[in-house]
Amino acid sequence: MKTAAKPTATRTLNLVQAVNEALDLALAADKRVMLLGEDIGRNGGVFRATEGLWKKYGGERVVDTPLAEIGIMGSAIGLAIAGFRPVAEIQFDGFMPSVFDQVVCHLGRIRSRSRGKMSVPLVLRAPHGGLIHAPEHHSESPEAYFCHTPGITVIIASTPRDAKGLLLAAIESPDPVVFFEPKLLYRSAKGEVPVGHYTVEIGKARVVKEGKDITMLTWGAMTVTCEKAAERLEKEDGADVEILDLRTLSPLDLDAILASVGKTGRCVIAHEAPNSGSWAAELSALIAERGLLRLLAPVARVGGWDIRMPLFRLEQYYIPDADRVVMAARKTLSF
Amino acid sequence: MPLKTVASIDIKRLEILDVDGHVDQSLMPTLSDKLLLEMYRLMFQIRAFDERAILLQRSGRLGTYPMITGQEATQCIPPLALKPSDWVVPTYRGSGVYFARGMQMRYGLLYWAGDDRGTHFPDGNNDMIFSIPVGTHLTQVAGLAWGQKLKGKGGVALTYCGDGTSSKGDLHEALTFAGQFKLPAIYIIENNGWAISVPRKRQAASQTLAQKAWGYGVHGLQVDGNDALAVYAATIEAVARARSGGGPTLLECETYRMGHHTTADDATRYRSDKEIEAWKKKDPIERMKKFLTARKIWDAKKERELTTKTRSWIDGEVKAYEEFPAPNPLNMFADNYAAAPWNLIEQRAELEEVLKFKGGAKVLTELPPTEGRFP
Repeated sequence: MKTAAKPTATRTLNLVQAVNEALDLALAADKRVMLLGEDIGRNGGVFRATEGLWKKYGGERVVDTPLAEIGIMGSAIGLAIAGFRPVAEIQFDGFMPSVFDQVVCHLGRIRSRSRGKMSVPLVLRAPHGGLIHAPEHHSESPEAYFCHTPGITVIIASTPRDAKGLLLAAIESPDPVVFFEPKLLYRSAKGEVPVGHYTVEIGKARVVKEGKDITMLTWGAMTVTCEKAAERLEKEDGADVEILDLRTLSPLDLDAILASVGKTGRCVIAHEAPNSGSWAAELSALIAERGLLRLLAPVARVGGWDIRMPLFRLEQYYIPDADRVVMAARKTLSF
Repeated sequence: MPLKTVASIDIKRLEILDVDGHVDQSLMPTLSDKLLLEMYRLMFQIRAFDERAILLQRSGRLGTYPMITGQEATQCIPPLALKPSDWVVPTYRGSGVYFARGMQMRYGLLYWAGDDRGTHFPDGNNDMIFSIPVGTHLTQVAGLAWGQKLKGKGGVALTYCGDGTSSKGDLHEALTFAGQFKLPAIYIIENNGWAISVPRKRQAASQTLAQKAWGYGVHGLQVDGNDALAVYAATIEAVARARSGGGPTLLECETYRMGHHTTADDATRYRSDKEIEAWKKKDPIERMKKFLTARKIWDAKKERELTTKTRSWIDGEVKAYEEFPAPNPLNMFADNYAAAPWNLIEQRAELEEVLKFKGGAKVLTELPPTEGRFP
């Protein structure tokens, strides 16, 4: 089997520009691709993720929908069954609960209910997480609800390179993908992004840095927080930290997780959502079930508290910062 | 068999005060000078407040703020037809509604500064915090109205949603319940022309939003939402019907969002100055001023006095807002449950450890006092 030559030319983009470039390439390459959402057309999206695309591809393919999330979600499912490749945007994570009926009862079930005759190859994009001083319901981390739902792939990218490659892979995926974009990183994460089309494989974690003493499992904007924490732990404690950015939350990269935890024997899971019933809980359970004898300390979870996200004046005390990751890591290291 | 007409609808629009300040006497309700002046004062003061809030945001002293300029009549007038015990649920663009209900605006500022203590309403009022995921309150308002009906004391519930939100299924279910159970509810669609960048015509393809009422056995009326007198007349009629067991009303108040969606938005990207200029001519406050002046109950001197009074009122509210002590981070654990479960008790203690890790052992004694109930 021949592998396509890897694109070598790159340029520096931030994460939202990388998302925009992926959408642009997908619209150009495949007539079945269309974008749906609130304010994504003329306005280019409230985060400018679809900037310029309405002008380039027209209002029939980059559709400013009425303000109706269930309408967006349900019609995207219908369009996907009808042979299109809709990419629907929900403007903020806090507006996602209204699409749950469609997601839980239909999105991930249509392939199996039709005995494989139908599929729903759509992408549901939404910004993710907090720390941008946004109003209430604009800083949520609802990934666990989606990961808990069978039949759906859940992705969250933390670098521009991954955002572009994973979004293209998501659009080309034969099954529904929920694609989270950490809004804190939209402009702050900058990096080299290959020019042109490429994909990043769904279901594979990224080793942010290798280490031998402790594993940090993380995703989204918390990846950056873990990098800061790792730097401090190395300087102040002489600890050699390994960080895995999971990138695909469902299905998890089990091999990479067990290999890393098996190597270090210590694990901290860091994320923004409330810990109870979170995706960190699933990770912790998997490690306990399949890697218990390799562990040198209990797995630690660093997450939001089990309360609603407070308004933004206190959000830095809710979402874990490097201090909290360091505290958890020290406890684990000294167990 | 010939086709038969089995139902027909007749959608009316109410306008009383024109842009030159003239009224249609045949539609004009009897209103005291005191009430007319109160309408003007509320609209005048909340606009000045709105302008100050924008300045505060622009200078980094406030978070994202949704401005109400242009919508003063639709916001400030309906509450005047209500009692404190009637329920009122505005949208997030609701400064004028809360102000007319007697809220101290320092709390409005506090909320938009990202402080949970900003959801503070006058004692004895049945006011509710708005819902930021739009429209989700509409069915709840059916429940609030249902409660009023069951209590049998003639209470009502009044709420708002935008033209954008009128596209959501929530309104469909809310009106279905309100109509079916003949609830004492007043639903105001505050049609300000724009849902962020999406114009009214991109929502329902129907000619009006008022006509949605007919689908549910609800009374419906379109109202010039920049005409304080029409908004008042429509509301008192709807409230009287609701109080007397006549059921719910849907009012489409047609107004205009003169500003951006919020301070985080740039409306110049998607709408024309021409449209804004045309709406400026229909300004609700100017119209009312012309009317009051012609009625000889308003003049330049009174206007100057109100301007001065308003400035010192806003200065006082801003000062009070800025003097709130920083919130204690531990506050977030309060009032999540009637009695906090073990995980919250544990996590609050963990946050204390985090605070000590950050600021040293004595940091806890230096924090402002905690607020709220815990455990």
